[in-house]
Amino acid sequence: MGSIVYWTVETSLDREITTNIEAEAELLQKEFKSEGFDELVRTVRDRGTFIPALDYLLLDGNGKRVAGELPYMPPAPGLTEMIVPRSGGPNYRYRVLALTLDGGIKLAVGDDIGALIEIRQAFLKALGWALIAFLALSLLGGMLLSRAFMRRVNAITLTAESITEGKLAARVPVRDTDDTFDRLSNTLNRMLDRTQTLMESLVQVSNNIAHSLRTPLGNLRHMLEEVRGRTKKDQATIDAAVNEVDTILETFSALLRIAQIEAGVRQSGFREVDLTDLFAKVTDAFSDLAEDQGKTLVAEIEPALRTWGDRELLAEMVASLVDNALRHTPKGAHIDVTLQLKESLPVATVGDDGPGIPEDERDRIFDRYYRLQRSIDTPGSGLGLSLVAAVAELHQMKLTVGTNSPGLQMTMTFPPNQ
Amino acid sequence: MRILLIEDDSKAASYILKGLSKLGHVGDHLTDGRDGLIAATTGSYDVVVIDRMLPGLEGLAIVRTMREAGVKTPVLILTARKGVADRVAGLNAGGDDYLTKPFAFTEFFARLVALTRRPPLDARDTSLTVADLEMNLIEHRVTRGGREIELLPREFNLLRYLMQNAGRVVTRTMILEHVWDFHFDPKSKIIETHLSRLRSKIDKGAKRGLIQTIRGTGYVIRPHT
Repeated sequence: MGSIVYWTVETSLDREITTNIEAEAELLQKEFKSEGFDELVRTVRDRGTFIPALDYLLLDGNGKRVAGELPYMPPAPGLTEMIVPRSGGPNYRYRVLALTLDGGIKLAVGDDIGALIEIRQAFLKALGWALIAFLALSLLGGMLLSRAFMRRVNAITLTAESITEGKLAARVPVRDTDDTFDRLSNTLNRMLDRTQTLMESLVQVSNNIAHSLRTPLGNLRHMLEEVRGRTKKDQATIDAAVNEVDTILETFSALLRIAQIEAGVRQSGFREVDLTDLFAKVTDAFSDLAEDQGKTLVAEIEPALRTWGDRELLAEMVASLVDNALRHTPKGAHIDVTLQLKESLPVATVGDDGPGIPEDERDRIFDRYYRLQRSIDTPGSGLGLSLVAAVAELHQMKLTVGTNSPGLQMTMTFPPNQ
Repeated sequence: MRILLIEDDSKAASYILKGLSKLGHVGDHLTDGRDGLIAATTGSYDVVVIDRMLPGLEGLAIVRTMREAGVKTPVLILTARKGVADRVAGLNAGGDDYLTKPFAFTEFFARLVALTRRPPLDARDTSLTVADLEMNLIEHRVTRGGREIELLPREFNLLRYLMQNAGRVVTRTMILEHVWDFHFDPKSKIIETHLSRLRSKIDKGAKRGLIQTIRGTGYVIRPHT
C-alpha cells in the first residue's frame, strides 16, 4: 500500500517538474521567434532575478553565455539530468531541457530536482516508520488471530488424537458461529459419525455371527456327547471332535467377552478390589505349575493394596499375563511378579527372562488374533492379550510392554481406589 | 431326583431331559415363565433349573418371587450371556448356582447334584471324613490312618472342597470357582498340577487312591466300595 502511495506521489511530482520546464521552454521559444534574440536575453535575465523558480542558460551563436546561471549547456538537445558536484553537501541535481534555436543560439531551461529527492527521502523515511508500525501492528494482530486460529486447529488435532487412541466418540467442538472453522468442524464430525456407525455395525455383525453360531455349536457338542454315551466305538475321534468344538466355542466366547468389556457394560459391576489378595491367589495358583515345568515363579506383593474395578476381570487379566509368561519361556526360566505402591498408585509387573518380544512387534501384541512371528505354531487363539488390553482399557489402566533385559516385562498401573 | 426345567429353547431342553432320563431322573419341562413360577411354587421338586430369557416372565423374576414366597428349593440359573454382572445378579436374586450356555451335560449334572445334596450349613461341623482320611477344620490338620499329612494352604482348600462334596463329582470349573475364586478358564493345567500333588501326599503308601478322575468331567473323592 505504502509503495503505491509513494509511486503515485513521486510520479506526479516528477511529471509536474517536466511539464513546467517544457512549458517555459516553449514560451521562451515563441518569444524568441516573435520578439528576437535581444528580447529573449532580457526575459531570461528578468526571470533569473524575479522568478527564482527555474534556472536558465542562454548561449549566443558563438557559444558564449549571455544569460542564466546553469553551470553548463548539456552536450545534446533534449531532456537530460545534470549533476553538479558541491563541496560539503549533496550534489546539485537539475533536470534540464536543452534547445537549439535559429542561428546556433542555445537555450537551456532547468529545475533543481534536489527538492524532489528531499521529498522522496522524507517520504521514504515516513514510509519506513509507517511500515515498521504497520509490521508491528500486523504482527501483534496476527499473533492474536493465530492464537485463536491455533486454538481451533489444536481442538481438531486433539480430537484426531483421541480417535487414534480408540475413543471413537470424540468430536471436534463447534462454536455455533457458522464461520469457516465451524463448517469444517461440522463436516469432520459428520465424517466421524459415519465412521463410528460403520465401525459399530462391523463389530455388531461379527458379534452377531459369534453369538448366533454359539447355539448350533452348543447343540453339535450335545449331539457328539450323546453319541459318545451311546457307543464304545471311535471314542478318540469323538473326543477330538468335542475338543475342536470347544476350541471354537472358546474363541467365540473370548470375542464376545472382549466386545462386552469394550462396550464398558461391566463398569456397573465395579467395586473395591483387594489387589494384594488377587495377586496372591493368582500367583499361588500358578506356582506349582511353574515348578512342574522347571521354572521359577517368584511373587513380591505389598500388603493392603486396593483398586476400584471388576475383580473377576482383573484376576483373569493377571492370570492371562502369568500364563503367557509361562507359555513363552523355556525350561529354567524365572518369572517374577511384583505389586507395589508407586506415587500413590498400585503398580504391578509380570516379567520373565525368556526370549522377549522384538521391539517392532511390541505395539501389535494386543491386537486381536496377533501372533508373534516365531509363535505362529504354538497353540492359543491370539485373543488372550486382546482380552488383557480390553480389561486394562475398561479400568483406564496404563499397560506397557517393555524389556526385562533380557526377557519381557509387562507393567500395569492400576487406578486408585475410589 | 425330581427336577423342574423352565427353558424355552427346545433343543437345549431336550438335551437336558434326555440326559436326565438316561440317568434315571424325572424332569418336568415348561417353556413359559408364568407357568414355570406356578409349578416352582406349588410343586415339590428337588431342584429348579431356570433359563434367564423366558417368554411370559423373566427368569430372575421367577427366582425372586420364589424366594419371597418362602420356597427354598435350590435353583440353578442358565444363561446364554456370560459376565460377572450377570452372575452376581443371578445369585443376588436368590439363585444358588449359575451356568453359562452352552455347557457339557456332565458339568450341568455335577452342579445339579451338588445343589440337591448340599449339606446344611452347620458351623458345628468341625471335621470331614472320607474312609480313613480325616480333616480337622479348626486346627487345619489332615491325617490318613492316623498319619499326619502336611498340606500347603492351597492343597488344604482343594481337599476341603473335594471332601465337602465327597461321593459327588466336582468339575474343573466348580473347583476353579470355589477354590480359587476364578470365574474364567485359565487355559493352563492348574487343577491337574494341584491334584497330582495332593494325590501324591494323601495316597502315599496307600494301595488305592481316594481321589478319582472322571474323564472329561472332573474329580470325585470317595471311599472304595
